[in-house]
Amino acid sequence: MTRIGVYVCHCGLNIAGVVDVEKVAEYAKGLPDVVVAKHYTYMCSEPGQHMIQDDIEAQNLDRIVIATCSPRMHEETFRRAVAEAGLNPYLTEIVNLREHVSWAHTHEPEKATEKAKALVRMGVAHARLLEPLEKRKVSVEKGVLVVGGGIAGIQTSLDLADAGFKVHLVEKSPSIGGRMSQLDKTFPTLDCSACILTPKMVDVAKHLNITLLTNAEVTNVKGFVGNYEASILKKPTYVDAEKCVGCELCTKVCPVKVPDRFNENLTEKRAISIYSTQAVPKIATINPDYCLRLKYNKGVCGKCQDACEAKAIDFEQKPETVQVKVGGIVLAVGSEVFNASKMVELGYGRFKNVISSIEFERISDASGPTGGKIVSPKDGKTPKTIVFIQCVGSRDKRFHDYCCRVGCMVTLKQAILAREKIHENVRIYVCYVDLRAFGKGYDEFYRSARDKDIDFIAGLPSEIHSAQDGSLCFDVYDKGTNKLLEVHPDLVVLGTGLVPNNDLGNISALFHASRSADGFLLEAHPKLRPLETAMGGVFLAGACQGPKDIPDTVAQASGAAAKAIDLLSSGEIELEPLKAVVDKDSCSGCRICESICPFVAVEMKPEVVDGNERFRAEVIEAMCQGCGLCSSACPTGAIKIQQYSSKQVLTQVQAALTETCTEGGK
Amino acid sequence: MSMAKPNLEAREKILAKLSGRELVNCFQCIKCTSGCTALKLLELKPHEIIKLVNLGFVDELPSSDIIWTCVTCLKCVQRCPQKASPYHVIMALRNIAVEKEAKVPEGYLKAVSQILETGLIETPKKIVTRKMETVDRDCLKLPKINPPKESFQAVFTKTMEEK
Repeated sequence: MTRIGVYVCHCGLNIAGVVDVEKVAEYAKGLPDVVVAKHYTYMCSEPGQHMIQDDIEAQNLDRIVIATCSPRMHEETFRRAVAEAGLNPYLTEIVNLREHVSWAHTHEPEKATEKAKALVRMGVAHARLLEPLEKRKVSVEKGVLVVGGGIAGIQTSLDLADAGFKVHLVEKSPSIGGRMSQLDKTFPTLDCSACILTPKMVDVAKHLNITLLTNAEVTNVKGFVGNYEASILKKPTYVDAEKCVGCELCTKVCPVKVPDRFNENLTEKRAISIYSTQAVPKIATINPDYCLRLKYNKGVCGKCQDACEAKAIDFEQKPETVQVKVGGIVLAVGSEVFNASKMVELGYGRFKNVISSIEFERISDASGPTGGKIVSPKDGKTPKTIVFIQCVGSRDKRFHDYCCRVGCMVTLKQAILAREKIHENVRIYVCYVDLRAFGKGYDEFYRSARDKDIDFIAGLPSEIHSAQDGSLCFDVYDKGTNKLLEVHPDLVVLGTGLVPNNDLGNISALFHASRSADGFLLEAHPKLRPLETAMGGVFLAGACQGPKDIPDTVAQASGAAAKAIDLLSSGEIELEPLKAVVDKDSCSGCRICESICPFVAVEMKPEVVDGNERFRAEVIEAMCQGCGLCSSACPTGAIKIQQYSSKQVLTQVQAALTETCTEGGK
Repeated sequence: MSMAKPNLEAREKILAKLSGRELVNCFQCIKCTSGCTALKLLELKPHEIIKLVNLGFVDELPSSDIIWTCVTCLKCVQRCPQKASPYHVIMALRNIAVEKEAKVPEGYLKAVSQILETGLIETPKKIVTRKMETVDRDCLKLPKINPPKESFQAVFTKTMEEK
């Protein structure tokens, strides 16, 4: 004989303000097998939990129904309380009276109360059929795979490695450092980007717990939380990393010019080159798309091979695949800069002196193409008028609807740098819509820019065109003064926003990490689980989750590292038992479940029956997330989800429709 | 300065004439006005019209001259980052002006009656050639232009009445 206790929570006035909780509890008392039914202000509070625990003991309850907020909020809390009282925690049923009733039907209290009664009735019907379940423990691998070697990946790797975990850091470029290594100074303190980043890059290379894999990409991921196995493709660099000393003799003899990606293609380098002055690892790499020897045949060129004293050049190098076993994965693949040529009216790509903000960084950087001298790429002269234009590609429904979150501060910084480098000989305009300076010390930074005689125009230009003498020209209306200005700039810097990586689609598919509407990777919960994906053991760090500046990126990266440590530190993890189970005898081996499972948790295993080999579905418990797709798709009903079998679900449906809550009606 | 009072009812009437409510998304980036073809000569400020409509200060708009200054170049439609489309708002205001029988600039009325009568936006004119001869269609042996059919006039009038 089942003995059920029903507990209705007021949630302050969140539920009780709409639903007549007293009536609901009274109604529950009349339901079959219900021994006690109570209501209380906050069931999740200590006295609330004690009430349940005391009743379990005194009334010998064996099923608990709690009508309260969403199970996502407090299911774990109540399960723990029930377990403390000696009952199997999975004999608890949560009925959602807040999100599903009071918040949804605020203006219809009577109907809401009726709905609450129906949901409690369904909950009691389900509770009766609940089965005791046990959590399962699996061991976890002690390593972490970090994908992306920008500041996010670097910070995560160092934190993890310092905590004693093995890290495999994969970077697709020949050097780590990412976007931050391209920047000149950083806001709001104006410290030089390289000065604060380079030591960290070196730390990564030296750390005994970090295996650095540059020029590499993850090609395959198998496994589940705590037990992932990744294949990493190391593309050939055609230079022996052990022998190369980074002397750059080879780059001096190479005859082939190649656009320099690190310098945003503002300059050229050679087909064999070192990624940047601060590159880590500082070894040369041959670009096979340009190298004459690699493109054509064995006979040609080979000058670098002759010049290399260390005999490091190896044209025969082949791609290599490395397999690693890790417990967790941190995705830190970063973002890209908006391609401003899509916004045709601003003339980027047509006019040489219209540049993007990342190009300005290279021009302003001491290690950049101009040695840090701010000049117009059109004529190499110091500009007399510089204009910064905000929100290029961001907050624009034609391109990206979101705010890029860095543009305003980047522009303020660059305007200050321009003023400091060209002194009073330059007129600086900033055309903006809203100026957002929200971080610590950011508004002070904005004010310091105001001090530096920079003209802020509250309005954006519609188009940039060339005047008859070939100079740039545009009109802009200032809403503060109601004046139309005609500006003839020598240099226009576009505040280009951050956009999702081109290959984020592949990455999302590879790691089963979903994407949000803006195209970035989706966190498990926007407020409460911002560092995790919905996939267990896969974490997010930096701008791949959404546009971020350096302080936010570093904070998230350390957070992701902490999350990974949390997962790995105990050496084993508990898995929820609410998973799919297969009844092997009814499985026909049709493979529908295997094809439909979004978590790749179903495997077809051969078995020999009467001398014939046939296949049966088997659920890899650790990978199954209990979503139920397989169960509803199975034509023979062989797969069911624990606690949600057809019988358990249909009994609830019946309870909803017939106002009774026993199996088959009462 | 007198206090402005919003007229939300009139505002809704304008919104009802539009295919969507995108104009409420306008965050006053001023791109429309910076690039407006009619700004320099005729002082049309599309951003101001959008803001007036959004706040409900619309009583004077249909009878103002400014809504007739738009040259319908559609730059504001193409470049608006919020798809607020000032041009469509201006067209809605013009239609309301006609409904209210507010003052419509003479040129527009002339153009309309001419189209009704001749079917043409511009009547054929005599021109002067490089040899300084004045010629017309007859001299050039071009076919005669027939007045539009009655059905054209019926459709045209009906369209005007519906808007």
